Amino acid sequence: MNQSDSERISHVIEEMGYRKAVSEEEADLLGVLSCSVRQKSIDKVYSRIAKWNKWKRKKSLVTFVSGCVLPADKEKFLKLFDIVFQPSEIKQLPEMLSQYGVASSYSVEQLYPGLEKREIFDFWQVDPDYQSGFYAYVPIQNGCDKFCSFCAVPYTRGREVSRSSGEIVEEIRQLVNNGYKSITLLGQNVNSYGLDKKGEEISFAELLRKIGRVTDESGKECWIYFTSPHPRDMTDEVIEVISQHKSLAKQIHLPLQSGDERVLMRMKRNHSVEKYRSIVDSIHKLIPEATLFTDIIVGFSGETEAQFENTRKAMHEFKYNMAYIAKYSPRPGALSARWEDDISNDIKKKRLEILTDELKKHSFEYNKTLIGKTLRLLVYGADKKQGYMTGLTEGKLTVRFPSTEYSLKGSFVDVKISSVTPFAMEGELIPDNTQKAENIISYGAEDCI
Amino acid sequence: MDTAVNQQLKTTTIKEIKKLTESTFIVRMDRLDLDFRAGQYLRVGLPNSIQMREYSIYSGENDDYLEILVKEILDGEVSQKLCHLKPGDALNFEGPFGFFGISEKDLQEKKFLFVASGTGVAPFHSFVRSYKNMDYFVLHGVRTVEEAYGRQTYNQDRYFLCTTKDKAGSFNGRVTDFLIKNRLDPEMLVYLCGNSNMIYDAYEILQTKGFSRDQIFTEAYF
Repeated sequence: MNQSDSERISHVIEEMGYRKAVSEEEADLLGVLSCSVRQKSIDKVYSRIAKWNKWKRKKSLVTFVSGCVLPADKEKFLKLFDIVFQPSEIKQLPEMLSQYGVASSYSVEQLYPGLEKREIFDFWQVDPDYQSGFYAYVPIQNGCDKFCSFCAVPYTRGREVSRSSGEIVEEIRQLVNNGYKSITLLGQNVNSYGLDKKGEEISFAELLRKIGRVTDESGKECWIYFTSPHPRDMTDEVIEVISQHKSLAKQIHLPLQSGDERVLMRMKRNHSVEKYRSIVDSIHKLIPEATLFTDIIVGFSGETEAQFENTRKAMHEFKYNMAYIAKYSPRPGALSARWEDDISNDIKKKRLEILTDELKKHSFEYNKTLIGKTLRLLVYGADKKQGYMTGLTEGKLTVRFPSTEYSLKGSFVDVKISSVTPFAMEGELIPDNTQKAENIISYGAEDCI
Repeated sequence: MDTAVNQQLKTTTIKEIKKLTESTFIVRMDRLDLDFRAGQYLRVGLPNSIQMREYSIYSGENDDYLEILVKEILDGEVSQKLCHLKPGDALNFEGPFGFFGISEKDLQEKKFLFVASGTGVAPFHSFVRSYKNMDYFVLHGVRTVEEAYGRQTYNQDRYFLCTTKDKAGSFNGRVTDFLIKNRLDPEMLVYLCGNSNMIYDAYEILQTKGFSRDQIFTEAYF
């Protein structure tokens, strides 16, 4: 989400005449987009501003912070940063900056004579400066109404608000026509899309259908992803739509958070393990080739060994391809921050290791079934390993292949898999196949573990 | 500068503070045309303070006022201040939030068992005030009979007070003991609200009695 926000904020700043600095040290204007999901992210903001404020003693520098900012942090940030604003307040950024005396030729009236500022700077209508020429993030929904007890997002980003479907589809259409090959629909709860505007806006499944149709009909190859959905609002219709459109990527990120009913109750996730299981069953039935990713928190307040063991069992059962496992850290502002953080860091670390081992086991088994198969990849650039390029499959699995053809970056290629590890694969490039979609070998239900 | 949070904030006026016990009281305030579903909660705080706390709505959907049930917490940053409010004072709130409600379909077709510990009875008080023809039982666990908040609201044939420190209730012991010792209609939907330990224990008991996860709804306070 922050990447998408930063693309829009960058656009506004560049419209004011600023140019990206080569390094942090050379910048006249420095900003940070904070994230309130975990305390660790906020701690990093404090550490960064401490450094910048030291620099300010020696040079002219303006600092800002935006993103997810809790009221309590906002009070502190106001003392540390020159400017604190919510993404929705981006329309006021030029005025805020001019108040800090930064030289700029920018003038709202000069750029957009006769128009109301509010109309121009509605956040979603700001053109983003996409950070890449082949992958992009498109926000479709902002805020959260779920109030999970470990999360402060509803208090920082506010309630769920859906962006106009017309605007979203148009942005996708332009991106696809401009040759973008990977587009991710973003939101705190993407599949809650439209629930805030019942009767006035289409549902998430209908939005996906429109996007799938527009992309399929473009004749261009592009993979459309979305993140993150909430199990509570996940419907079979969404899964059906994904199965019906070639362009809708066969990769689902479905946060589990815990595999124990009691912990889910305390986390106020408002769904059961059984509900989660029925969604996964539908995915396996309707999109057997789909890869499955998840988010898990270990060491949540009061999590017993037996409860943790249920999460491990759930990981074993759902056989994820990837899991983002986090040690619980209380986030001020969230309900659980007032509960005892009673699981020691050592236990949290141990539980994280156990789940990582479980994940490795399944992802390795899955990757092994792909040896000898040819997979379609979107090339992201040079690999860390000298003489190799790296890319992601439609299911977002990492594959590297020997090549120094940097021009392949941003292209689709086919690679025959020769060896695998739990989290990566290696293979040989099939020559002369860039941009060809016909030769994809899909791995079907019988190949899934 | 308006923020996304402040845009949701409403300021209401206190109508009455009704003391129920030494440490528990009802805050009644102007409703401000707030539309809510019984079972939802508000985030409440004092003007000029960033501290807010969650409280289930105690009043009914059709009441022309809004109420919350508050237990004073030692060193509580909000509850300590709420009890000193007077009629006419201002109070901020956000909401309503939450999914601890009853669907229209279930209201028509199902029987309900509401199990609460302490002030966890608040959403059930709201249910009962809102839905006059609902088929329900309330099981309220407290230490002493004085903590039987709003007991007159319920049909006395459908209200079971479980007390642990005196024998003035209809059952001496915890709500979980009551659940173990009594036969339960296996078709009922069970709503659990209050502290997590009660919810966990009740969940285990209900499972052993054959209730499926889909029949159980929970709201953990702490």
